Amino acid sequence: MSSSGPIEMGGLAARRIEFDDHAALQEQFHSSMWSDGLPVVPPTPTAVATSLDWALLDAEHLIGVEPVRGRAVTAEKVAINSVMAGCLPMHFPVVVTAVTAMLAEPFLLHGATASTGGCGVLVIVNGPIRNEVGMNATFNAVGPSDRASTCIGRAVRLVLGNLLEIRPGEADRSTLGHPGKISFCIAEDEENTPWESLASERLGDPHASAVTVMSAMGPRQIMNEWTTDPAEILDTYVAEMQANMRNFSIWAGNYAIVVPPQLRAHFDAAGWSKADVRNYVFEAARVRRSEWADVGKANAVAGKGDREYAALTEPDDLLVIAAGGPAGGFGAVIPPWLGTKSRAVTVPVGACIDC
Amino acid sequence: MTIEVLDPTFGETSERFEPAERIRSLTGRTVGIISNGKRGTLGFFDVLESELIESHGVGEVVRVVKPNYSAPAGAEIMDVARTWHALVAGIGD
Repeated sequence: MSSSGPIEMGGLAARRIEFDDHAALQEQFHSSMWSDGLPVVPPTPTAVATSLDWALLDAEHLIGVEPVRGRAVTAEKVAINSVMAGCLPMHFPVVVTAVTAMLAEPFLLHGATASTGGCGVLVIVNGPIRNEVGMNATFNAVGPSDRASTCIGRAVRLVLGNLLEIRPGEADRSTLGHPGKISFCIAEDEENTPWESLASERLGDPHASAVTVMSAMGPRQIMNEWTTDPAEILDTYVAEMQANMRNFSIWAGNYAIVVPPQLRAHFDAAGWSKADVRNYVFEAARVRRSEWADVGKANAVAGKGDREYAALTEPDDLLVIAAGGPAGGFGAVIPPWLGTKSRAVTVPVGACIDC
Repeated sequence: MTIEVLDPTFGETSERFEPAERIRSLTGRTVGIISNGKRGTLGFFDVLESELIESHGVGEVVRVVKPNYSAPAGAEIMDVARTWHALVAGIGD
């Protein structure tokens, strides 16, 4: 996605600010709440222009319009924040795609990011671009696994803060939040699984590079190294989802589960596809409202104790992600922010709304 | 040597909008309360409704609830709101 020749900087429209030195720049960015608490890479005109050039985007290119406040988000502003987050130019198309997906109406960006619930934006990357930008889908996959994942996830957060004031105490009204709000980006381990990739399932294109965003609470880790039965493995995931439904939110929505190689081997041996996983979880992940009484919420049962609640409105609500290091029977359940209010959105890299 | 960088913010501190015309008195007027629908707000808006009628002479208080407390009021609610003299954006938790 890069062009040859000199970098064109004439189209940059953002206000220019001068600092005497690096320390002054950092302190000003922190005191202005332009950072997330970590140092930033100075968004120099050259660095920003280089990112735009890599993605073949003009500075004024419209990434999208935030639906509630009607704010136009331009490529230049996203590039500035991408540079600040530490992204290389080659990471920028992934950031652009994540922002494009977040601005889609079903994502309900304002509600999700302003909520007291405190969700973060989970970014899942599929397709050849994962390898092109150096994403690691194995060791520490849900954590800081590599430079690209960390910086891309951080760029999403800086975009929210600087372009929409989704900052603590401003538009971000989170009571607690979670560490994924700093950066929450995962690549799927497409090379080490016979499973169809998440993006391929959602877009119908097995070759596309794509980004999926989901309003996500923090990951809840599970472990089951004592069975080879796919159903029993999923029962552990389901139990964690049910615990979330009892302890946090009972409403159905997009859940993501992360399945590492050691557990995937059992699914592969038994011939279970992702669709089989989704169907099993859809049927099993249910609680009755009366179970709220077991966790101190008897007052909210309100005579509806026999009512059954499913974690998913349909099997396709479940995002199944192959990722993780080679050893360990661990997995993760990543719950939704709040039911179906915000829906996961998948967008191919390179898609745009006005070209 | 100075470092030149680009402003990372949206750049405008507030959206452009015209505030609604102020009304001089609430007496006999219709006031709407658009609640975000959270259960904890019910008691508060009950009291607010009483206060508007008993202390300020409001003629009628119309209470509507957004179907989604995380999304803006839709066109259906805003069409009704245009018939009121004043409204309260009822955000609570």
